Amino acid sequence: MPGAFEGETVTRRGLMTGGALAAGGIASAAFGLPALGFALGPIFNNDEINDKWQDVGAESDFNERTYVAKVATLVTNVGEPGKTTVYIRKAAPEDRSPSDKPGKPIMPYVAISTRCAHLGCPVRYVQASEKFICPCHGGVYGKDGSVDGGPPVRPLDRFYTKAENGRVFVGKRFSVNSKLERFPHPRDPSNHLDGLWQYIYPGRPST
Amino acid sequence: MRLLPGPLRRKNGDNGKADGNGNDDQPKSDIPGALLVSRERDEAVINGRNGQDAKEQKALQRERLKEAATEVPATVVGWVDERTGMGPFARGFMFRKVPKGTNWFYTLGSASMFAFLSQAVTGVFLAMYYRPSADEAYTSIQHINNEVFAGELVRGMHRWGATVMVVLVFLHMGRTFFFGAYKYPRELNWIIGVVLVLLTLMMALTGYLLPFDQRSFWATVVAVNINASGPVIGPYLADFLRGGAEFGATTISRFYALHMLLVPGLIAALIGAHLYLVAKLGTTAPPWLKAEKKRELAKEEI
Amino acid sequence: MNGREKEQYLREYHVMKGQGKPFFPYAVAKDSFMAVFVLLVIILMAVLFGAELGPKADPTTTTYTPRPEWYFFFLFELLRVVKPPEFVFAATIGIPTLCLILLLLLPFIDRNPERHPLRRPIATLTGIAVIVAMAYLTVEGALAGAPTEIELKTAPGLEAGRSVAASSGCLGCHRIGDNGNAGPGPELTEIGDRLRAPAIRRTLLNPTAPMPSYRGLSQKNPEQFSELVQYLSSLR
Repeated sequence: MPGAFEGETVTRRGLMTGGALAAGGIASAAFGLPALGFALGPIFNNDEINDKWQDVGAESDFNERTYVAKVATLVTNVGEPGKTTVYIRKAAPEDRSPSDKPGKPIMPYVAISTRCAHLGCPVRYVQASEKFICPCHGGVYGKDGSVDGGPPVRPLDRFYTKAENGRVFVGKRFSVNSKLERFPHPRDPSNHLDGLWQYIYPGRPST
Repeated sequence: MRLLPGPLRRKNGDNGKADGNGNDDQPKSDIPGALLVSRERDEAVINGRNGQDAKEQKALQRERLKEAATEVPATVVGWVDERTGMGPFARGFMFRKVPKGTNWFYTLGSASMFAFLSQAVTGVFLAMYYRPSADEAYTSIQHINNEVFAGELVRGMHRWGATVMVVLVFLHMGRTFFFGAYKYPRELNWIIGVVLVLLTLMMALTGYLLPFDQRSFWATVVAVNINASGPVIGPYLADFLRGGAEFGATTISRFYALHMLLVPGLIAALIGAHLYLVAKLGTTAPPWLKAEKKRELAKEEI
Repeated sequence: MNGREKEQYLREYHVMKGQGKPFFPYAVAKDSFMAVFVLLVIILMAVLFGAELGPKADPTTTTYTPRPEWYFFFLFELLRVVKPPEFVFAATIGIPTLCLILLLLLPFIDRNPERHPLRRPIATLTGIAVIVAMAYLTVEGALAGAPTEIELKTAPGLEAGRSVAASSGCLGCHRIGDNGNAGPGPELTEIGDRLRAPAIRRTLLNPTAPMPSYRGLSQKNPEQFSELVQYLSSLR
């Protein structure tokens, strides 16, 4: 090596260069990594999602023929913007999902989310044609939330429901694929869930 | 009369007298400096006159003061120039030649930058009244619209300035494309420019959420879900933008930080790089002028 | 561009530059006038159009029709016309990302040393085509009406029928005027020309799948049902 003494393996220059780079790297990491962690943190925690059962009304408010709209809380600690509308209907035997174990009772109520599975616009239920219609890009869903036409990639998300003491309770949201199989970690809109797609859009720690 | 202070004067010295420090030239006196009390006395001694008219003397004094005053800006600039060495840089930037045929199309770039500056200034004033929280954002904007002096005007300028900036940036990009000004040696400038277009659209996107009315909210929901549609990493990107799996308490703050700090910082830095390259490489001549030139050269060659 | 072409360009540029004028004051004057003009336009727009603020954000709404800002209309319209669900992510991410990459790499794709627009036909034509496509999509996006309103002019006696049609979900699958979706059902703007009232009534009661039957409406609210039939048969 130029400038090296006899038998010297690391020159003074080499040591200084390496030391400067190492110290610079450590200093940048010292302020960079915590900041990065701060920004990326929410990806890994799901504290904000409301996971308590919410009372949405008496059992007599709902029926099997049509959907009734109720307001539920999706995100805690944010107030008004954390709420969402849920369409609730009393379940019929046809509402048994492939994910329901045979012999076990199905969920007593079907609670459908108004978040369109295409890009998240608010869908509305139209009584006359018994369809859910999305005003943004023309998505149309049938009475059980499965896609009848337009760009949505999977049926509308649903909420867990239970009935206790004559009151109806709504729980966390979950996603379904076109066969209405349940995926407990809800996916974002535009995420397909059929076949191999469920591995391209896996469940995340934040849900 | 001197219009320009000393260091920025052109080197071919048509303004004559200046030396680097901007001092006027003085007649050399052979009387030692310690004895010079005032210029008039000096002149009186040199000229051998003693009793000049008092009025004339006062007039002379005023003349000298006026000349000294006009020297002040030149002296100040000279002071700065001596300590920063910015003279040649400023001269090179201001007096570089732009090619023959530069027309009004070439103003679109600086017009875009001006629109950005207008957005920055109106944005700073809006930021003094805006509260970036889910429950207070809307009321703070209402406050700006209704109670703050010129609030609706400043907010309107910011809002329509965004449209104007997007239009100007796209026109500038189109002009550059059709004039072929992205070719050698300006490829890097074009790439920086495309990144600037992208950042401008990002500003529009993040700023759009801040008033937090119905249109803002749903347009942002759709925009974030568009990001979520990317395979594998899409949903994580959407989580990063939203601050979680759902639109929550921190989403507005995130968008506010992006809109106020990160993206404008990047835009400012890239505009600096873009301008540096424009000054260094020069702007292109309009492509049709080149054609005539060719014919003339060809004629000469025959 | 090879080395010779680069050198030639630099030489010609040097000559053109030498024949030019100094940046200050000639170009700066033009830039300053343009800056004043831009500022005047911004202030004029702010004074004339004001800064509207819609109703407060409400995630529980079921009546709002979201729309983006006008400069994103071309993307919005792209998302509306790409119907098959498998292609959704191509429209949301695929096409815009591809266009962005092409735009970034433009100087490396187009290596033609020619700069005059008429002598680089591919570049010029592509540029014009892209601009026209974006303008068309933007205009279409702007005209896209909500699927719960019908904006066609209607005679006063048919107003009731129009509101039944607008709120019955027809626009989810049919186009009426500027509103609604172009599929899966056929356009109904001139359905009165093709089908008489009895045929329309039969279709509503006994449609071909996937169209839902409106028998429920005819039984629950026969008056609204006949208003609907009357309105549809008036569309010529």
